[in-house]
Amino acid sequence: MINDTSFWDQHRGKIVSKKGGWKIGQGVLSHGYSMMDDFVGKTSYMQVVFLNATGRLPERRLADWMDAIFICLSWPDPRIWCNQVGALGGTTQTTVIAATCAGILATDARSYGVRPLLEGLRFIQQALSDYHSGKSVEEIVMAANRVRKGTPEIMGYARPIAKGDERIPAMERVTESLGFEIGDHLSLAYSIEQYLSNTYDETMNINGYMSGFLSDQGITPEECYRIFSVLVASGVTACYVDTRDTAPNSFLPMQCEDIDYQGNPYRPVSD
Amino acid sequence: MKSSKPSAQVRKRSDVFVKRPATRIWQEVPSADNPYIAAQSLCHGYDMIELMQKRSFVDVLYLLFRGELPSVDEAKLLETLMIGFINPGPRHPATRAAMNAGVGKTDPALILPIALTTLSGTYNAAGTLEASMRFLRKQQRQNAAEVAARLVEENERPEQGDWHIAPGFGSYYNGIDLLSAEIAKHLRGLPAAGSVLHWGQQFTQALNKEGMGWLATGVVAAVLTNLGFQPRAAAGIYQIMSAPGLLAHGSELSNKPITAMPFIDDEDYFIEND
Repeated sequence: MINDTSFWDQHRGKIVSKKGGWKIGQGVLSHGYSMMDDFVGKTSYMQVVFLNATGRLPERRLADWMDAIFICLSWPDPRIWCNQVGALGGTTQTTVIAATCAGILATDARSYGVRPLLEGLRFIQQALSDYHSGKSVEEIVMAANRVRKGTPEIMGYARPIAKGDERIPAMERVTESLGFEIGDHLSLAYSIEQYLSNTYDETMNINGYMSGFLSDQGITPEECYRIFSVLVASGVTACYVDTRDTAPNSFLPMQCEDIDYQGNPYRPVSD
Repeated sequence: MKSSKPSAQVRKRSDVFVKRPATRIWQEVPSADNPYIAAQSLCHGYDMIELMQKRSFVDVLYLLFRGELPSVDEAKLLETLMIGFINPGPRHPATRAAMNAGVGKTDPALILPIALTTLSGTYNAAGTLEASMRFLRKQQRQNAAEVAARLVEENERPEQGDWHIAPGFGSYYNGIDLLSAEIAKHLRGLPAAGSVLHWGQQFTQALNKEGMGWLATGVVAAVLTNLGFQPRAAAGIYQIMSAPGLLAHGSELSNKPITAMPFIDDEDYFIEND
């Protein structure tokens, strides 16, 4: 009904939380658990990260797997785009929080970072559904919407700068040591990789591995995006620290001519 | 043990990266004595000092994004728009983020980034600008009343909250956003107001009987479409427009005690799974 404001009136001046909160003098609650009694010293930080993002407290070994993937996904190399944001923050002497947040923001990107996990999980979950409906791996690959330089572009396969991904064998060891089986999604991801490798000389990347593994754990694309929102934080911080602790404005300094100006030559401003 | 899977073999690609970033926007002419120091800056070919002497801030903002200086009428349209939306107001979530940062004594240099990050959202915020411009670009050759009728028919009013029938258009607290409508009306009266603003007016007229109309984001999207701005730049332009208001509210709170903002009482804080 036009100008019916009852929906907002019900929410005005109060907070209704499905997550938890601080009951002053009584304790701190998260999803029905007492954080001080049930979590501190008893669960891992990653278990609580998963809980806050999804509402479910995962088994410890899944949190340990997350701990390992956080290491894989953030390195102290300032040539990586988000890390360079951190390094530029350091050389400008921003605060560490500003630089790290700016670097994390940079990963809300289409071409790399955390946001592509949404597409990675959507792809493999749809692909498995198609596979169960009778589509072949080749048909799944060829249905990819984008083709670049003759190669189907699928999120989770191929990566910038290099072919192959050293993080996958590292995570395969972790997956095995924690006792996880290879599920249907990851198994299909390997089949897709094999097809891409044979046909286009392209391989799975860590996004594809994560997408397959996490889909096998029952995680939705949106949950994955939420769980790993600050995935690159520590590498960005490292790159910030590296430049913050050296002379300001000394990270990749540029002369005027280091910019390739391709615009209009000088022209006078009319009155 | 080394994996035999294809991904285990890591090889560098042969991508060719540029040696120097390219730009058509800005030229810094080096001084004779120091290649790091610019003796002159040109914006799309215009000398910065000359621009300072002869042009307004809005002229140069337009120049940065469009590559040419605006006409007097175009500049007037953009400047009027920027005044109209200089402040999302103290109830907007982005402004409240600025106020929270201010009262918490957050580093003053971070108040604006915090507010602008909140303003990046896609609900009554900058994140909807690109979609709104693309909607207007696509629909502007259709009959506005017919588009409105079709959208109303094809979509369902949400059970709760507002109904945004198209990006930048819809209800506002279940009513019509009067100020956005008034701003749009004023903008339509300016000489540079183009067909998109007029199409938006016809579209909102058809929506009014459903309790919907212009939203702030739709008005900005219509003017930016009229002026030829790129949809990908629109979110940022909206953030630039809103920045003065956001910062002013954050700064206003930054010298006040933490009690100057509400802290919801325990009796008004409900934990559903408690």
